[in-house]
Amino acid sequence: MRRAPRLHWISILLGLLVLMSVVSFHAYTEIRPEPVQHAREHRELPERTLALAFHGGPDPKWTPRLLDALRESGVKATFFVVGTQVTRNPEVTRRIADEGHQIAVDGFRAEGDWVDPHNLAFAQAALADVLGAHTRLVGAPVEVDSGDRDHQDIGTLVRMSLHEQRGVVRLHDDGSIGADIARELARTPGYRFVTVTGDRLVEATAAERFTGAVTAWSQRNGGIVLMLLGTAIAIAALLGLLRTLLQLGLAHTDRRLRRESAQEPPPWITPPVSVVVPAYNEALNIAATVRSVAANNHCADVEVIVVDDGSTDGTGDRAEELNLPGVTVIRQANQGKPAALNTGIRAARHDVLVLLDGDTIFEPDTIGELVQPFSAADVGAVSGNAKVGNRRGLLGRWQHLEYCAGSNLDRQILHALRCIPTVPGAIGAFRRAALTDVGGVSDDTLAEDTDLTMAVTRAGWRVAYRQQAKAWTEAPSTVRGLFRQRYRWSYGTFQSMWKHGGALLEKGPMGRFGLLYLLVFHLLLPLLAPMMDLYVLYGFLVADAPLALLVWAVFLLLQTASAGYALRLDGESLKPLWVYPLQQIVYRQLMYAVVIQSLITALHGTQLRWMSVRRTGLLTDVAGGTVHVT
Amino acid sequence: MQVFVDGGGSRRVLARLVSLTVASGLIVFAVVVGGTLLEVW
Repeated sequence: MRRAPRLHWISILLGLLVLMSVVSFHAYTEIRPEPVQHAREHRELPERTLALAFHGGPDPKWTPRLLDALRESGVKATFFVVGTQVTRNPEVTRRIADEGHQIAVDGFRAEGDWVDPHNLAFAQAALADVLGAHTRLVGAPVEVDSGDRDHQDIGTLVRMSLHEQRGVVRLHDDGSIGADIARELARTPGYRFVTVTGDRLVEATAAERFTGAVTAWSQRNGGIVLMLLGTAIAIAALLGLLRTLLQLGLAHTDRRLRRESAQEPPPWITPPVSVVVPAYNEALNIAATVRSVAANNHCADVEVIVVDDGSTDGTGDRAEELNLPGVTVIRQANQGKPAALNTGIRAARHDVLVLLDGDTIFEPDTIGELVQPFSAADVGAVSGNAKVGNRRGLLGRWQHLEYCAGSNLDRQILHALRCIPTVPGAIGAFRRAALTDVGGVSDDTLAEDTDLTMAVTRAGWRVAYRQQAKAWTEAPSTVRGLFRQRYRWSYGTFQSMWKHGGALLEKGPMGRFGLLYLLVFHLLLPLLAPMMDLYVLYGFLVADAPLALLVWAVFLLLQTASAGYALRLDGESLKPLWVYPLQQIVYRQLMYAVVIQSLITALHGTQLRWMSVRRTGLLTDVAGGTVHVT
Repeated sequence: MQVFVDGGGSRRVLARLVSLTVASGLIVFAVVVGGTLLEVW
């Protein structure tokens, strides 16, 4: 037995962080705020000496024309570049540097935003990517305004530029006027032109260049990443919608068919039944379980076989102490649940076997209801309706909703498609012939119930669902317990899918519908769905994305409506629905995590041990839990 | 032997190696990029 792999969570969390950073950075670069001016210290230049300082570029169209004019005039200027423009126009930036002009940082998204240290870092990263260097000159000193943002007349601009006859002249290279005014100023006799400072570019380190490449890539390709994210979300949304429609449509059909069959019901059958209860360390619940089974009102012999699978908490003793008629306790060394089930099945006398977990409570009519589908000769197994017994607290309510809106609704769909993949360990009935056909319960997977059900279906038996046969089961009461339980279920389901993958090539509903349904809705959808959460988070935190909120709200509404319908179908109160929106925040993500963990475990080939859930014995509180045998 | 379980252990070793490489690669990536940007020239 080895510990389940965990390292991938670091990769997944960091990967999601990187993904969010890429799209957020891209969104950040797409916005160009208003320019601001933050003059640094005054730069004293000699009389009739000008430093031409160009802002707002580099520009793909106007900066090259300016560079031509400067070259013709033999003037060296200083370019206070904007980082996003550097990434957009790397060739122009390189030409500025190659032609001996000074490069300075003016900001990242707009002129003057260098005062924010993040913008300064991003701008330097952009330079490191394009030039392999960064600059020491950040932010322009006090400048003489050329007026080129407000005036078009060259004469006026030259006059304004020269009115102090010295100094750093503020110009712009993101418009046509830059080259013209540079040419005119250069022609003015008696003036000398210098760069703002004598600082040279500083060669960037490898880390700086790498960081520059990353930010530049994010700026250029963040849109594509966002598009891919959008595609994943669209697929997830469509699958979610399809599942909801299937659930509502087929569950409705299933209900209608059941109503019709209820009008002319097949004769009530009362076959003798053997109930097998495999139990490992179920001392807290076993008495309530056995009592509830023994208190059945089935009109035929019901024998109960408790198989104590090497419990260390006196489970077998608790069952024996009840001293109930028709209850046998078999003890064996711990061999696992499949072996315990097989022991019970071998010891059973009757041809109809009801299998249930040691933490499950039956209602008096559960057994009678559960065996009714066996009136059809082709039915080899029947799934009952497992319900959460301990519904107190948020976790209990969430699981109750999931049992109704997820598992049971799914079961109704798959019942309509005749490919129920799981007769749950909590409540199921099997024809002995079906069990014999598949060689009993296999220990090939951790979800022996799914494995067994798939095998029975592939053997040509029909698996039915009896909604009226209710069993109350104890759901995990801690997040850790829930994760462990679902991890086992999910991993076991994947094992079963893999084991029975051959069904895809066979005739029969399991391959055509059952496996595909599980593949699409229990593997693909949970893997894609986190993208939706990521996108909503992105919409909330980064982009002004009301669409994300709208999509999320519509989905929530649809799913809540679907859950409400499922509760109605199951004859349950709608009160717990209020916790459904909260389920979207913690519970759903936990379920994604379970699927990812299962997938990674499968790839690692790790042998998992049975992860038992800590029992609380709370089930004695539910209907049937305190029934006494008369 | 359960489904998926790697009896020989080679797949597990390879998967752990890949996992370790990806995780450490991402950590180095995050430290280098984040560190460089936060350093502020």
